[in-house]
Amino acid sequence: MNVVNTSIDSIDRRLGKHKSAARVGIGGPVGSGKTALIEALLPRLHARGLEVTVVTNDLVTKEDALRLQRSGLIDPERVMAVEAGACPHTVIREDPSLNIAAADTLAARFPNADLIFIESGGDNLASTFSLDLVDYWLFVIDTGGGDDIPRKKGPGILRCDVLIINKIDVGPVVGVDVEKMSKEALEIRGGRPVMLTDARRGFGIEALIDRLEHDVLFADA
Amino acid sequence: MESEKCANLAAVLQHADATFPSGSVSFSWGLESLCNQGIVKDVATVAGFVSAHLRGRWASLDRVMMVHAHYAALDLNEVAWLDMLVEAQSLSTEQRMGSSRVGAALLSTHRRLGSKVAEDYAEMIELGKAYGHMPVVQGLIWGQCGFDSTLIQCMGAHGICTSLLGAAVRLSAIGHIDAQIVHSNLIPLIARIVSTPVGRPDECHSFIPQIEIASMKHETDEIRLFVN
Repeated sequence: MNVVNTSIDSIDRRLGKHKSAARVGIGGPVGSGKTALIEALLPRLHARGLEVTVVTNDLVTKEDALRLQRSGLIDPERVMAVEAGACPHTVIREDPSLNIAAADTLAARFPNADLIFIESGGDNLASTFSLDLVDYWLFVIDTGGGDDIPRKKGPGILRCDVLIINKIDVGPVVGVDVEKMSKEALEIRGGRPVMLTDARRGFGIEALIDRLEHDVLFADA
Repeated sequence: MESEKCANLAAVLQHADATFPSGSVSFSWGLESLCNQGIVKDVATVAGFVSAHLRGRWASLDRVMMVHAHYAALDLNEVAWLDMLVEAQSLSTEQRMGSSRVGAALLSTHRRLGSKVAEDYAEMIELGKAYGHMPVVQGLIWGQCGFDSTLIQCMGAHGICTSLLGAAVRLSAIGHIDAQIVHSNLIPLIARIVSTPVGRPDECHSFIPQIEIASMKHETDEIRLFVN
């Protein structure tokens, strides 16, 4: 039986990993605003001179991919859809090989891209990203889902690099104290980043890009 | 010696496991379309579907190419020729693309694990010199892992069964216990196929017309959980 060579340096070198765009996962429940967040990010990233491509993982259709492709916010060629086979968490966590292949394809087609967003199909609070697929990941919840969502402590909420609480405009309408929800989320995450956004109106998006530039693109390094 | 046999068996289990990253969880190979049409809907029809795949395609095309790719591993141009034959024998777009996507995903995983042959063959695909179809990649890679031709056939058949039956469970055509019953009942068929000598590559063939037609219909289905 042959022994495989698992030298990380040699693997990275062969795959040209050091030259690839940073891969950022965006996960979260259905309807939390993952696609809206990307739509809010795209023009602002473009304004900062950053090039982006997107991989979407729709559950049963290509709705998210088509929405982005038709949005006018991004060259449709820069968006690829991956069918999830009914298991959105599986294709970003246990077996992300199709997503890796899609990201590799986009990286080869657009070698100047700075970021590849990998949007997960909507899932529950347990979904996480394989760290072989992404360099960094966001988990998006929304105030409309209730202020108890952070207290449910799903792996998505606990382990993501940044927890996004979106639709903060909806909170007061559904009786959610956004400030309290944010404070609880921060405590549950042991002080790791929690950010508030209203993707539709652009609130919090520039701050999120600042964080991506700092944490992922090392713009200030 | 006993230790080496155990290590080999453990490695077979690792590489044949449904959780080994190959993207196969996203493929139904025509089943989703047949379920949507109400043609496959229960234990008997699921069993018939998997059996048809094994008899009509896997036995006469995929396993043939897998075994020949295994023996041709030292000549990647020969492997690429086998790959071309699989491309030519795959009628519907989704069956054809599915095979090359699973092959590419499997190759990508082994490339990341440091396999030299995976690296070399992936480069041939990038240069447009090969397609990277699933059975060819399986034969090439698994052979390089040190598995013999009988083992790789069993691994391939196991992969087809777990992939199709997993899809059937997720499509709610059958339950998880029935899936295991169907799988158990297919094992004698798999054993018969594997014990039959493989044919020549240029005589390989596939005949699964109902599945091919279903795959063609799937291309335009709006509601689709699976790639094919």
